[in-house]
Amino acid sequence: MSETADAHDAPTSTGIDHKKLIMWLFLASDCMFFGTLISTHLLYRKLYPSGFTDAEGHQRFIQNLFNIELTSFSTFILLMSSFLMALAVSAMHKGEIKSFRRNVLGVIFFGLIFLGCQVFEFTHFYHQGLTIQNSVLGSTFYVLTGTHGTHVAIGVLWLILMYFYSFTGKLGGHMGALDVEVAGLYWHFVDIVWIIIFTAVYLVEYLGPNGFWGTGLPAVTK
Amino acid sequence: MFSRFFSRVGLLAAPFLALIMAGCSKADMTVRQSTLDPKGPVAKVQYDVFMDTVWLVVVLFILVGGLLVYAVIKFRARPGDEDAPRIEEGHGNPLVEIGLITASIGALVIIAIPTLSAIWYDDDVPAESVPTSKLSAWYPRLEGAKENYAKVVEEQVLEIDVIGKQWWFRFEYPQLGLTNDAKRSVPNEFVIPKGKAVRINLRSEDVIHSFWIPKLAGKVDLMPGRKNHMWIQGDEVGHYYGQCAEFCGDSHAYMLFRVEVVEPAEFAKWVQKQKTDAGEVVAGTKAEKGKALFAAKTCVMCHNISGHYGAGAFAPDLTHVASRKSLAGAWLDNRDPKAQLAKEQQTQNTESSVEVDKAVLKANLIKWIGSSGVATGADGKPTKDVKPGNRMHFYKMFNVAGLTETQQKFTADELDCLAEYLLTLK
Amino acid sequence: MSHDSHHDPVACKTELAPERSDLGLIRPDRTTGWTDWLTTVDHKKIGILYGAFAMFYFLVGGVEALAIRTQLARPDNDFITARMYNQLFTMHGTTMIFLGVMPLSAAFFNFLVPLQIGARDVAFPRLNAFSLWTFVFGAFVLNASWLFEFAHLAGWLNSFDWHKALVYTDFAPANGWFSYAPLSGTFGQNGQALRFTGVGTDFWIIGIQVLGIASLAASFNFICTIINMRAKGMTMMRLPVFTWMTLITAILIILAFPAITVALIELMFDRAFGANFFNPSAGGQPVLWQHLFWIFGHPEVYILVLPAMGIVSEILPTFSGKALFGYPIIVFSGAVIGFLGFAVWSHHMFTTGLGPVPTAAFSLLTMAIAVPTGVKIFNWLGTIWGGRVRFTPPMVLSLGFIWMFMCGGFSGVMHSSAPADSQQQDSYFVIAHFHYVLLGGVLLGLMAGLYFWFPKIFGRMPNAPIAYLASGMVILGFNLAFGPMHYLGLAGMPRRTHTYHAGNGWETWNYVATIGAYILGAGVFLAFANLAWTAFKGKKCSSDPWGGRTLEWSLPSPVPEYNFAQAPIVATRDAYFEDRHGGKRIAYENDGGEAGVHMPSQSWMPLVASTGFLFAGFGMPMMAMGVPHAGWIVITGLGVLILGIWLWAVEGPGGYMLKTPAAAGSPAPAETVAH
Repeated sequence: MSETADAHDAPTSTGIDHKKLIMWLFLASDCMFFGTLISTHLLYRKLYPSGFTDAEGHQRFIQNLFNIELTSFSTFILLMSSFLMALAVSAMHKGEIKSFRRNVLGVIFFGLIFLGCQVFEFTHFYHQGLTIQNSVLGSTFYVLTGTHGTHVAIGVLWLILMYFYSFTGKLGGHMGALDVEVAGLYWHFVDIVWIIIFTAVYLVEYLGPNGFWGTGLPAVTK
Repeated sequence: MFSRFFSRVGLLAAPFLALIMAGCSKADMTVRQSTLDPKGPVAKVQYDVFMDTVWLVVVLFILVGGLLVYAVIKFRARPGDEDAPRIEEGHGNPLVEIGLITASIGALVIIAIPTLSAIWYDDDVPAESVPTSKLSAWYPRLEGAKENYAKVVEEQVLEIDVIGKQWWFRFEYPQLGLTNDAKRSVPNEFVIPKGKAVRINLRSEDVIHSFWIPKLAGKVDLMPGRKNHMWIQGDEVGHYYGQCAEFCGDSHAYMLFRVEVVEPAEFAKWVQKQKTDAGEVVAGTKAEKGKALFAAKTCVMCHNISGHYGAGAFAPDLTHVASRKSLAGAWLDNRDPKAQLAKEQQTQNTESSVEVDKAVLKANLIKWIGSSGVATGADGKPTKDVKPGNRMHFYKMFNVAGLTETQQKFTADELDCLAEYLLTLK
Repeated sequence: MSHDSHHDPVACKTELAPERSDLGLIRPDRTTGWTDWLTTVDHKKIGILYGAFAMFYFLVGGVEALAIRTQLARPDNDFITARMYNQLFTMHGTTMIFLGVMPLSAAFFNFLVPLQIGARDVAFPRLNAFSLWTFVFGAFVLNASWLFEFAHLAGWLNSFDWHKALVYTDFAPANGWFSYAPLSGTFGQNGQALRFTGVGTDFWIIGIQVLGIASLAASFNFICTIINMRAKGMTMMRLPVFTWMTLITAILIILAFPAITVALIELMFDRAFGANFFNPSAGGQPVLWQHLFWIFGHPEVYILVLPAMGIVSEILPTFSGKALFGYPIIVFSGAVIGFLGFAVWSHHMFTTGLGPVPTAAFSLLTMAIAVPTGVKIFNWLGTIWGGRVRFTPPMVLSLGFIWMFMCGGFSGVMHSSAPADSQQQDSYFVIAHFHYVLLGGVLLGLMAGLYFWFPKIFGRMPNAPIAYLASGMVILGFNLAFGPMHYLGLAGMPRRTHTYHAGNGWETWNYVATIGAYILGAGVFLAFANLAWTAFKGKKCSSDPWGGRTLEWSLPSPVPEYNFAQAPIVATRDAYFEDRHGGKRIAYENDGGEAGVHMPSQSWMPLVASTGFLFAGFGMPMMAMGVPHAGWIVITGLGVLILGIWLWAVEGPGGYMLKTPAAAGSPAPAETVAH
């Protein structure tokens, strides 16, 4: 317990900083948020396993659209960004502001690559005939992954602002490290959610010879 | 003074509720849509379970409420308490707590058992009709009836498809050929034979509706995109009142329907009648003019009148409109209200019904059609809407012949002719 | 040492030299007037603002209810049109739940929780202000729909091209507070997004969404405060019950609101972008909306009820002169109610054709939730038992709460049996049930709380005879209005119907119910008027007029802005009461005094950020109406929101040291303190 009289550094009942605690609470809430969205997607996949009908009236299967190599790559990138984020937090705790900047720039860069991949994917799927309007599948897929993308974008924006803020010299000490750590919590969470989405929305379609839901085509037919 | 007075406010509530209960005479229990007057096995089972909960609750109410009243009176502060030593601080008694929790769980088990058996009873359509007298209130499934349920063969049960639309119900009897496709559907009022289990298939064409005939069965929703079902059986001949019970838009309150429970022989006759076409209209009468107007003013685009016009499939079938006891989603009653009231009082039965009164029917027809935007009133303005938002308001969409608005609308005279025509459709 | 700006301790913040934030802007530092109320971060002032807005919206919702009852007084009545009736019951439900009960509970959370746990403010004072203003603007957006509706009815909008192009012209929402899709959603293929309702639904969607953000932000803050800012010695099992119920409520909010947030996003995508989540013509399942709505909606019921239960659990011991019977059981049953509250949502959907197995499961779970609720009633009874009951206005209202809530609970047990419920669902029986719980229960509980804590909030005592009269009118009018509805429901009268025919046997009791509603309305108005009068003109009273039990009563009334001149250290539950009537149970930390207490600085930024929701919330329904350039309003709103949050982040928390009265007579920390 610290001896300082500053109210913001005052010892809390649990010893956990307010900011960290509130971020954990937010993440608990966000778990329910993504849980609801992922459930919506899976419920409709179970109900309508056979994909969607494109503008020309052709029955399409979601595996035809997926570019699993690209999505695996962007997943890997996002995982690596979490690694860099951990390094940034660690650097901040040690007071190594330059190392922090380097790492956070890496996180931002990787986050942008992930977003770029998602933009590419959305455009690609759209041209393949999957729109938010022509099927339930399109609605659930775009809204789920789009909401996740929005979370990533907010995280990137947050880190960019933090990066520039670090040059004002005000991001330092215990409070500064705490701010970065909280941002790190958020970033790791968004990353974990993507692992779940990647599994539940993408990978699961490749289980079994006809896709997990039973009527999809084998993934090899492109 | 005030505190003494208001210490009794809590006490007032008990006799007050008792008063309400006492105020409910038998007549109040048998009103048209009463759930307390079951006339079929499904409603009976639901009523019995309800009464189980009522008795349980009454006992608990007397126990807990009595203790509360007693405690408030017994332990009220008295003059001189200010100087008394403080009450020793206690923090509860585990034995009392555990005892009360166990007792509550026990009380709930009492209602859980009939609840569970009734849930499956309501869901399983029996292969044969069920005599109400044989119903054990709590264990209908266990009474040697199990095999009966196991071999539910849908063909053996009379099936009725109910289609909900904003804001009326359409009834079809697919096994008997009374379907919309065959131009033989029945709007607003349907008929079932007495003592026969009927499977009701619930479908909706727009929003969610709910099918509720309180005296025959509790409600089940008509969910768009889902295939719900329920079953009913009427054990007493009569005219039963139902209503949509899920909020479905502007005119939800006007979405009523009726069901007539008749003797099986009557039912066969009724089915035959539904299969007849509309008769010839006498030449040179107002009715003949009305028949022409029906086509000229584009009514024909939506309404079917078998034998006369067969294009419409969207709106209520009018082939036998004049034989029905209600109009406009059963909101307008075609019976003489005074005669009906007298009959109900005389028979002490709200299910007894008088026949259609021709004058009332004609007035209703004019009121209904005249209010739906398709007619100009005496002053040239539309009359007050009987059913806001009803689809007759969209008449302009069906103006394929390129009529002007005045041409497409009915004048008061034309409306009279149309009503005369519809009156012939028995 | 952090970057907070520090000053020498001052006796009043107006003595401070104008303070500049990290942005270089001057921080607001008024203690009175508009600036103060708009920029305040003081949890007590925020609580008062919450309370004032909540009481205003209670009256709005009440007027809506009286219009409904007037229409239903006679059969075949045409006092209001069908659509207006539908709009009224939609807005009545939404207003009472989101703008009446929840903010009034939030008022109590704000005012009381820091005082009860011995803290000087909440964990995030500026976030607290943000929650308040977001709530205020969400409420504005929701009620702005009425302005458009009345402008439309008056014909003022007829000359606009966009108005002529509208298919549906309901501007106030007319889809019920539950907004079941597809009535609130769309139909048609390939993104046609044809609708059954007009922009009223869009107002509703965005209004609820904004209010949800306010509730979530406030809940994060309160959980943090309660877990992290307890005074020394205030272990979790020494927390006042009201604080416990606040904690459980806040946890329910953060776990339940995401479901409605997602549901609203999906519905918005359906309506605005032609998605197919709930569109039955394209394979969407309307039943999914019901699941998502009630996964939120059922915990919401406990979100409304638990604070009132907490209030009553504070009042009963005070006026029985005796500790709460079974404190651990009351706390534990509250937690069980919260937990089970997530497992019973489908009992709102017994008639949707779930199939027998889910119906049976939810039926049993619903019965199970009656047990912890019953336990609470038993424990309240145990609290009175053997006590010396003083019939003060808060106590009368609390006893009314127990009585009415018990009745509501009993009819709830009746619903839990699915076959019985199939006759009661969507009938007036249900209306009677939940009004007994939410009005007879929650409103009486909240009114009891208002009368109980008003002397603490304003240092003035409400007029007792008027309070008794108002309480009597409320209880009598309420029973007269809602008692007969049990019968009406069993007699087959469905809810949400704007009129009914004579001849169904519903005439008499509807008329009685309307009379009761007017008595109830007059009673609530009288009670609120009494309170408003008290706030300004009431008779001054001592700091502890009731013989209270918890820490807030140890403070002067009104409570100074620093709350505790010295931070308390407690050694037991109900430490204040024990301290007065026996051994030494409260000690004080050696802070405050000349050294000062750290106070947060006021800020404009929460208000600025919330204003973004106001613009965005107005703009989105206007886009749906087809008003030209409305999109720019939305973009402006989002811009203001992001800008506000950014400025808020970089302005720094600020803060200054405030002198508190000398620590005269304050004992050294006692050895009796157990940590």
